[in-house]
Amino acid sequence: MKNIWMYFFTGTVQVVIEGKGVERFLNDCIREDISIWNVRRRQDNAVLFTMRLQDVQALRIVVRRNECSCHFSKRMGLPFWVKRSKRNIGFIGGIFSFFIITFLLSNMVWGIDIEGAEPKTEHLLEKELKKIGIKTGAFQFFLPEPDEIQRKVLEELNEVTWIGVDVNGTTYHIKVVEKKQPEDQEYVQPQHIVATKDAVISKMFVEKGLPMVGIHEHVKKGQILVSGIIGTEENEQLVGAKGEIYGETWYVTTVEIPMKTKFEVLTGEHKSKYKLSMFGFDIPIWGFGKVDFAQFEKERIEKTLKFLHWELPVDYVRETYRQSEEVNRTYTKEQAIEQGISLATANLQEKLDEQEEILEEKVLHQSFENGKVKMKILFQVIEDIVETKPIVQGD
Amino acid sequence: MVSKWRQRVTKWMTRSLEVPPDVMMDLPRITMIGQLHIYIENHKGLLAFTDQEVRLLLKQGQLLIKGSHFVIKTILPEEILLEGEIEKVMFIDQ
Repeated sequence: MKNIWMYFFTGTVQVVIEGKGVERFLNDCIREDISIWNVRRRQDNAVLFTMRLQDVQALRIVVRRNECSCHFSKRMGLPFWVKRSKRNIGFIGGIFSFFIITFLLSNMVWGIDIEGAEPKTEHLLEKELKKIGIKTGAFQFFLPEPDEIQRKVLEELNEVTWIGVDVNGTTYHIKVVEKKQPEDQEYVQPQHIVATKDAVISKMFVEKGLPMVGIHEHVKKGQILVSGIIGTEENEQLVGAKGEIYGETWYVTTVEIPMKTKFEVLTGEHKSKYKLSMFGFDIPIWGFGKVDFAQFEKERIEKTLKFLHWELPVDYVRETYRQSEEVNRTYTKEQAIEQGISLATANLQEKLDEQEEILEEKVLHQSFENGKVKMKILFQVIEDIVETKPIVQGD
Repeated sequence: MVSKWRQRVTKWMTRSLEVPPDVMMDLPRITMIGQLHIYIENHKGLLAFTDQEVRLLLKQGQLLIKGSHFVIKTILPEEILLEGEIEKVMFIDQ
């Protein structure tokens, strides 16, 4: 049996033949290799049958040879649908544009929700987001990934400690934590101030409490710097000691710097390819041709397209190929030492607060072995050595 | 005279070599599914077709099928599939 379903796509016609010698007509059809099916005789003696649209030319020959009159009564299948739909182009266009518009609107940004920021910061943040391209009406698949947005905004805004970007449908939820220490508590329980580590006091400012040590005095870890017990012996009072005390401390760090390093650098040349990814297959849309970089780094960013609240099985993909080069770097001994010091300084600086500083550094020891420089560096640092220790009643 | 002789030979061959007779002798092979369908292979053309009667040409004689509501589902040079309510199938010798 033939698969009549397939004929839907090529189109079929129903033919009515009337007159004498209908059987001969049918036999002729078969002889001409016209496949016919659903042959039926109507009440008025006419015969109906169905045939493929592509056999109509062959049917003409048969009609010419016979005396029967012949006409088409029904036209079925895809070609006729298309023909008919051309007449109703507005309607079909409406359906298509509905889907296209819904699809586009589903992939737009419709709201930016900023949470936890003061009006001033919020304004700055909005400006920053606009610079990146996040604003109502922007297409989501052209926007960077949430973590990239986070990184970019954090780099630009100093007022913000942390932001969290979350895309929920068409809305960007942005949570902001501003750089602001909470207000100091009004009430401070009775406490001493003790040293966090061995140090030489370099700066002292006592707000409350009785200072026990002076400037340039050497203190040990845990030693009471400011006492919370004030007043004369008869009239003792317990207060929460408060103050800022900076001491000179020492750090010894060891660093290792290889004299020769091999690493990859990006040359700045890059090429982007845009694709649609469907069920594991990539269909290129823009950016053809081979990537003719000898060495490159490949970055692939995928964005799932949405339709209303469904995610389509189609991803918008941007592939970026960045040309890279291998670079050999060789240090001289002096350079290596310099590098080691700056590396150690940077590492230490990261641990320190704004008010704390590195006074000076001294290379205690250095050795060259296996193509590496090994150094021991002593840092002299001014840092906060305040630690509070509550006074337990009855002590 | 020659055709009669040939017929005899083929008959003998089918019997002795056990070749299916429809292959050897160009006979129609008819398959029926209840009264609903009749499938005829090896016909030689359509002679008459109405709602109640179909007449097919065979190599020898004709095949007459009677019934009602006949519809030819498929028709190919040597095959025909007929649907309807089949009442009789008759061979007419000429």
